[in-house]
Amino acid sequence: MQQCCIYEKTSYICFIFGILKITEMKTVKLFLLLSIIVSILVTTSCDPDPKPVNEEELITTVTYTLTPSDGSSPVILKFKDLDGDGGAIPVITNGTLKQNTTYNGILTLSNESVSPAEDITQEVNEEGQDHQFFFSSSLAGITVSYNDKDADNRPIGLSTVLKTGGSESGSLKVTLRHLPNKTAANVASGDITNAGGETDVEVSYIIDVK
Amino acid sequence: MSNKILLLFIALLFSSNARSQSCTFKLNGYIKDLETDFVIANANLHVEGVEKNIESDSLGHFMIHDLCKSGYHITISHIGCETQKLYINLMRDTTIVVYIDHFSHALHSVTVEGNKKPTTQTVQALSEKNINENLNLNLGNMLESIVGVRTIRNGSGISKPVVSGLYGSRLLIVNNAIPQSGQQWGNDHSPEIDPFVANKILVVKGASTIEYQGSNLGSVILIEPNKISNEPHLHGKAAYYFETNGRGHGINAQVNRAYQKWAWRLSTTYKINGDKHSPDYYLTNTGSSEKNIALQIEKQHNSNWHSDLYFSSFNTEIGILRGSHISNLTDLENALKSDVPLFTRDTFAYSIAAPRQKVNHHLLKLHSKYFFTDHQWLDVTFGSQYNTRNEYDVRRGGRSSIPALSIQQYTQYIETKYAYQLSENSIFKVGLQSTITNNINNPETGILPLIPDYNSYDGGLFGLLIKKIKNWELEGGLRYDLKYQKVAVIENTLPRKVVRYNNLFHNKSAVVGAVFSASESTKIKGNIGFIDRSPAINELYSMGLHQGVSGIEEGDKNLKQEQSIKGTLALESRVSDKFFIELLTYYQQIQNYIFLKPQEEIRLTLRGAFPVFKYEKTDANIYGLDVSAIYNLSEHIMANVKYSYLKGQNQNDNLGLINLPPSYISSTLKYSLPKIASLENLEIEASHQYTFNQSYILASQDYVAPPDGYDIFKLKVSIQKQINEQRWNFQIKIDNVLNKKYRDYLNKQRYFSNDLGSSLVAGIHVSF
Repeated sequence: MQQCCIYEKTSYICFIFGILKITEMKTVKLFLLLSIIVSILVTTSCDPDPKPVNEEELITTVTYTLTPSDGSSPVILKFKDLDGDGGAIPVITNGTLKQNTTYNGILTLSNESVSPAEDITQEVNEEGQDHQFFFSSSLAGITVSYNDKDADNRPIGLSTVLKTGGSESGSLKVTLRHLPNKTAANVASGDITNAGGETDVEVSYIIDVK
Repeated sequence: MSNKILLLFIALLFSSNARSQSCTFKLNGYIKDLETDFVIANANLHVEGVEKNIESDSLGHFMIHDLCKSGYHITISHIGCETQKLYINLMRDTTIVVYIDHFSHALHSVTVEGNKKPTTQTVQALSEKNINENLNLNLGNMLESIVGVRTIRNGSGISKPVVSGLYGSRLLIVNNAIPQSGQQWGNDHSPEIDPFVANKILVVKGASTIEYQGSNLGSVILIEPNKISNEPHLHGKAAYYFETNGRGHGINAQVNRAYQKWAWRLSTTYKINGDKHSPDYYLTNTGSSEKNIALQIEKQHNSNWHSDLYFSSFNTEIGILRGSHISNLTDLENALKSDVPLFTRDTFAYSIAAPRQKVNHHLLKLHSKYFFTDHQWLDVTFGSQYNTRNEYDVRRGGRSSIPALSIQQYTQYIETKYAYQLSENSIFKVGLQSTITNNINNPETGILPLIPDYNSYDGGLFGLLIKKIKNWELEGGLRYDLKYQKVAVIENTLPRKVVRYNNLFHNKSAVVGAVFSASESTKIKGNIGFIDRSPAINELYSMGLHQGVSGIEEGDKNLKQEQSIKGTLALESRVSDKFFIELLTYYQQIQNYIFLKPQEEIRLTLRGAFPVFKYEKTDANIYGLDVSAIYNLSEHIMANVKYSYLKGQNQNDNLGLINLPPSYISSTLKYSLPKIASLENLEIEASHQYTFNQSYILASQDYVAPPDGYDIFKLKVSIQKQINEQRWNFQIKIDNVLNKKYRDYLNKQRYFSNDLGSSLVAGIHVSF
């Protein structure tokens, strides 16, 4: 089945070859006609046969690991959509944070639809000048500050510091912009308003601060 | 290739005895309009070599004295017509009748095509003159000068023609007698055709198509090169233009030559432009380039048999406005809020980056025509097409140079047609056609394909009878197509697996029509047609994110055929020598009309929320009116008014159908002067067009409400000069003279940016 599709391409080349020699009408005309007919027969016998697609760019999982400064066990927030844009709905793991606590936040991006899973974090880190994470929350007491820098000394957001306030609950949204305007006003301090760019990641977690 | 009407048609009426002396021969004759048979005064005849210039008198008569026994090249020019060349081998005193295409050009209408392709349906044409004057436009934009033809666009570089509200897989484009095959499903896919290879482009605003195979709902666009002229010497034409907006350049050159038994023509086009400019800012990344070549060879085997071969290669790369590349709903909202598109640079550039498209289309056609007798003939046509489409997105990890969508399509077409002229007044045609399409996605994209790999096998059969009875011309035809599809879809479940579907459709169409010639100058045409269209692959199996439109599109594999019944009524009348009118009304009822319906569901993905669109069916109607009227205010001043109204409705919810052209009205005032000093055919043209607001579409049916109506003014000046054997044509035109800010409903970029600002185009055209 694979082979018959190669014939199609060669028969097409034959056509062009045929034109180049068209002045020698008699034999070439016959050849041309034959090649057309052959190609038709060949196409008929060839079933569609899609090749597997290596979806290396796909991100299926965004993990935000929050490790409290008091050394207790980390809280893991996870957004996981293994089959991509369509199909089954995403699985979201939410979390509970402690009041008035400082957490070290580490974001990881991965493609878990393949085995072993691919780590995309490194790709974003390498292109740090073209990427920036933004954090916004409906919780009044939560602040997130950047704890990393790209080659131009501007934040990326793979490493952050998150501080909680009093008891409350709400959502925390994490956005990754590709090719943002990192020099625009307030972008370096984490304000997405003037950032522009395209959204590569936009996920929300439910947080309880107790 | 059958003869086309635009060619000079020479009839030798009589010839007197040859005289022994040379250089005393006379060539005299008449110049007449091809369609109406009216005589044409003030046509200029230039005899090359002897540099004689003669004008036809008020009776259309001309007389050229003192010619030798020799071959002569004669150039015939007349205001408003494309300059024609004629080669005549003079043996004795000779009288000829030269037919030129004058009135039909003025009105864009062709009733019967050289008596070779009669139809009772409404056919309108773009003449060679029109094509030459618009080298800077692509096929779709060029066709917009025909009343009622609009384009659905994605910026300035990508445009698809819309005829009577039909486009994409509802509108058939026949390129050189071969149904054009490509990715017609995408609204952001232009037809891959260089209009410069055509000498004539016909738009059939039909009720049903009988003679052509391919997905459509009644209307057809025919791209037709002329038969190569009988010139035994090397001749041709060349054109160059410069356009200020986008700093575009373009060149086209054509050469042809005829021998005893065969003839050839070669045409090449090269175009390039950089970032276009809206009135206030550059449209960053809207450059494009195009390289095309076409070769036409004709051979006369014997008096009963001729063949022709046609090869064309169309290659283009088109940049898409950088600020229109968005991801999820949040991005879209940001883009809609932004006055100036995001990523707008304040400098001009020719370079094209992602998002961009790279498209190639190659066509090879072989056609043979055999006359059994003068009244019976057989046409056999083979066509092979190879189409590749690569679309590049802005991607992570250096993947912007890897296409995000990459499709190859091979199409083979065979047709056998038999025509039998039963009597002088009736002709019968039958035909058998088959198309095999093979569509393959390239897996290197790293993205699940939006439309699947498939093979499609179509077999069709038609019969058509046309009969003239007194003042009536009657037509009746039937067509049947069997369509079999083998589809292999990569499902978006995990693990990814291939699911196969086999579909079978029976498509039927029928037409009856009549032309009534109420008088010599007035014709009334009526048609009723029925036609089926089986769902396109994208309507059945689309699945996934359609980048540019920032929505998730899902096909429905259970969709049935669309079934259309359409009636058209047309009037063509030359009310007086001063006043012409052409009017078309149509009503089309479509059952199972397939459309992309926004769903209430907003789908949550890792990239945020996306709206979901599903292909659904409904019952719909589309109706409209196209009018074009010409009034000659004086010998030198002509006024032309065009008006087109169109409405489409979903009958299930009584909402308007989206993405149909708004109504518009345009008026043109043209001043022409046949002679001014040593220059000829001066034309000064001013035009205005008002496009109405698409008010029947609610804001809730779209991301934003349809844009306001807008006015556009245009100016054009052209003049010709004969220099030795060359005829030169100089032209300057200004589009959007007032540099008006506007957004057009059918331009998808209207979400992001204003449309084009003013532009000056200067062009030179020479035929030699």
